[in-house]
Amino acid sequence: MSDLSRRDFLKLARNGFLYLSGALTLGGLIRFLSFETNPARQTRFELGQSAKYPLGTKTPLNEIPALLIHSDQGFTAISLTCTHLGCTLEDDADGFACPCHGSRFDADGNVKHGPAAKPLKRLRLEITKDDELILYTE
Amino acid sequence: MRKLITISSGILLLVLAFVWWMNSRQPRPMELIPTLTNQPEYCLTCHTDLPEISASHPVKTFGCVSCHGGERLALDADLAHSTMRGGENPSDLTVVETSCGGNNCHSGSEAEKRDHIQRVTTSIQSTYAGAIANIRFTFGAQKDLSAQFGISAVTDEHTQTGIASLAAFAPPAEKNSMLQKFGENCLTCHINAVPREGEVYARQTGCAACHLTEKHKLTTSISYTQCNTCHNRGNYNLRTMAFDERTDHPSARLQDYYQPISQFTKCEYTLDCVDCHTRSEVMGNGDLHANKKDIQYIQCKTCHGTPTELPLTKMLTDPNDIAFRMDFLNPIMDLKLGDTVLMTEQGELLWNTRALSDGTYEMTGKATKQYFTFKPVMGSGCTQTGEDQSSAYCHTCHAVER
Repeated sequence: MSDLSRRDFLKLARNGFLYLSGALTLGGLIRFLSFETNPARQTRFELGQSAKYPLGTKTPLNEIPALLIHSDQGFTAISLTCTHLGCTLEDDADGFACPCHGSRFDADGNVKHGPAAKPLKRLRLEITKDDELILYTE
Repeated sequence: MRKLITISSGILLLVLAFVWWMNSRQPRPMELIPTLTNQPEYCLTCHTDLPEISASHPVKTFGCVSCHGGERLALDADLAHSTMRGGENPSDLTVVETSCGGNNCHSGSEAEKRDHIQRVTTSIQSTYAGAIANIRFTFGAQKDLSAQFGISAVTDEHTQTGIASLAAFAPPAEKNSMLQKFGENCLTCHINAVPREGEVYARQTGCAACHLTEKHKLTTSISYTQCNTCHNRGNYNLRTMAFDERTDHPSARLQDYYQPISQFTKCEYTLDCVDCHTRSEVMGNGDLHANKKDIQYIQCKTCHGTPTELPLTKMLTDPNDIAFRMDFLNPIMDLKLGDTVLMTEQGELLWNTRALSDGTYEMTGKATKQYFTFKPVMGSGCTQTGEDQSSAYCHTCHAVER
């Protein structure tokens, strides 16, 4: 094992400082530039294979929020965001209820009583060649 | 040269380490994108400890900025708070239209009963018009008791009372020194006034004066103690033009509710103010009024009827009826279509009551949740005439001993 000379040690330390400070500066710069302060809300959701949702099922998609319905007519999706002020709807006896202001919707998303005035939004669905379901909220 | 590069890189490394350390001390930004605005905000980075303000205003839907204002993307507290509306209280009447207003919110149509802001800003609780007119008349500043001034200038374009506008009351401009003192000492009760000092007077201004009963909690379940931050605390002394506080400090509801000189029945102190006094009485009906008597119309007979007439009632047949909305906000009745509730002469529904099949009525306290049943006067031994229905007549027989 050869002894490290004082000159080599200083050279190594200097290079180490240089590389480390350079790497940290670059890392900080990337972190700073990549931070998105004003990100847009997600509007495209990959729901996985359509086979995950058998015929006759109604699947709540809480993170959207929406209800995915697989009926004889195929796949449909209803937004579970209240059309009054945007609260997330909850299941009601025969439809959906807004926990914020009391609007009620039937199972098809039509207004039973207000304050909401518009029916629930139908969301666009796409089935890819690979049988993947994609849902769009806008 | 090499030495310079080495020293420079060492200094740079130290600076980076310092920046990293400072950054690690900062809270991790917590992003929220409310569904109502669809715009990210970072208020929750520091304010996760606040409770949900109400079930009707969930933070996930409303966020913070739509009500409070502020710089939604700022992480520096001073910058974030620099453009807040009304400081800690966005319901202050000077900013309420921007904070709580909007067609779908609290400055909507009268027909949908969403005109809260219009009603409150013209209500006697905001204008104080009656008190101002009385004092100005008493000290010769005006010839009659007509309402001419309010705390702030306000107009009513569709006046039903004949009072189309009130000018802003300016005590320093008054010639009589007593009116100037009135301005200095006696304008602490209108809902946008900064209250007097002391725990018993503690309340916010604007909507929150009544609806905020604890920190960051809005409610329609309002106890008499909230009303008593202004009411029943003492009297204004016309000789000294100062406020004389009531001197007793009772803890029992029976003694605390009203001032010692007051006369009242059991239901008047057992119930809370909001159990009987309606939205129009308390928040105004959208018209400017000259004094409290013009808008306060609930009497004993509203619930009890007279010896010859039953109280007015209405069957609920419309699911959009405001009675259901009120019961939803403060679920104490579980009202159903087909239920019959008491109704005032103005057509306002007392939604916390229900007519029972045996001819009696039930009521649930909006704040206490206490359940009461009561009978109509008709069929009782009461001989009071239908015309003499002000509370003073009923108190003659039914007042309780304090």
